[in-house]
Amino acid sequence: MLRKSSVSIAKDRIKALIISDRVHCTPDAYENICRELYSSLSKYMELTEDDFRVDINRTQVIITFAGEEA
Amino acid sequence: MGEVIVITSGKGGVGKTTTTANLGAGLSKLDKKVAVIDTDLGLRNLDVVMGLENLIVYNLVDVIEGTCRLKQALIRDKRYENLYLLPSAQTKDKTAISPGQMKKLTSELREEFDYILLDCPAGIEQGFMNAIAGADRAIIVTTPEVSAIRDADRIIGLLESNQLKKKELIINRIRMDMVKRGDMMTVDDVTEILSIPLIGALPDDEQVVIGTNQGEPVIGLDSKAGTAYMNICKRITGLDVPFMELQSNSGFLSKLSGLFKKD
Repeated sequence: MLRKSSVSIAKDRIKALIISDRVHCTPDAYENICRELYSSLSKYMELTEDDFRVDINRTQVIITFAGEEA
Repeated sequence: MGEVIVITSGKGGVGKTTTTANLGAGLSKLDKKVAVIDTDLGLRNLDVVMGLENLIVYNLVDVIEGTCRLKQALIRDKRYENLYLLPSAQTKDKTAISPGQMKKLTSELREEFDYILLDCPAGIEQGFMNAIAGADRAIIVTTPEVSAIRDADRIIGLLESNQLKKKELIINRIRMDMVKRGDMMTVDDVTEILSIPLIGALPDDEQVVIGTNQGEPVIGLDSKAGTAYMNICKRITGLDVPFMELQSNSGFLSKLSGLFKKD
């Protein structure tokens, strides 16, 4: 089947909605948050875009990057 | 000392009332003394789902206003020993009671019952605040749909800010045929998004509609949803019950019978 499964569309939509509900911002704010965090942090540490991830849950903003193991 | 559990969802129509009725009946089958309370003022429904609508004399607001004693308002379900319903008022609006009054009522009921289940109204206004006021534990009902999951997430956030720590998830109306086609989110998808422990997953079962038509909890009928509800009840009491495999309609047997139908 060529069409994108409706579940993957639903998952993308719900994830964006939940983040904007949790931090009271617009859905595209999440993209901006990620970009700005990436650019600030990359001034101080070596980052690659592929490994950089920002998760926002109800009480935390979690930044994940694949650095050297301590 | 009983446990007070609120059944909530945010969004309407996902199965709170049906779940409350079935968990109430199921827990009483496990020899627990159970009170179910309809906290949806103005939109009374739990009595109808349970088939007890003709037995109502007094209601929740009468108890809170002191028009009657608590014992007078509790309706005993004759089919299930130890199951009692406190119906809601159909005429009063949602400002007729306060969270403090609900807290007092539930603490009174704790003395007498093992479990007190509160059927919460949809929404996040005062009715919701009343329902969660005295609760120790929350069961959040959702369906695998974007709107229902979104509302469930809001509710979980509100429960957290109200210091309600014990929260568990029921995913209702799962259609395995659609899940297999990639057109419905899986139990794992929904659980991961909401990140609270799963206490039950229910198949979309016609028997639930039939049960509601008859005012009979599906837990008393031989059905997949009935079994799933019973498993949830056991988990509520602390038993470790494995999650059952939800079978799709296009399972092995129906495929086999389909094979024979072809010429």
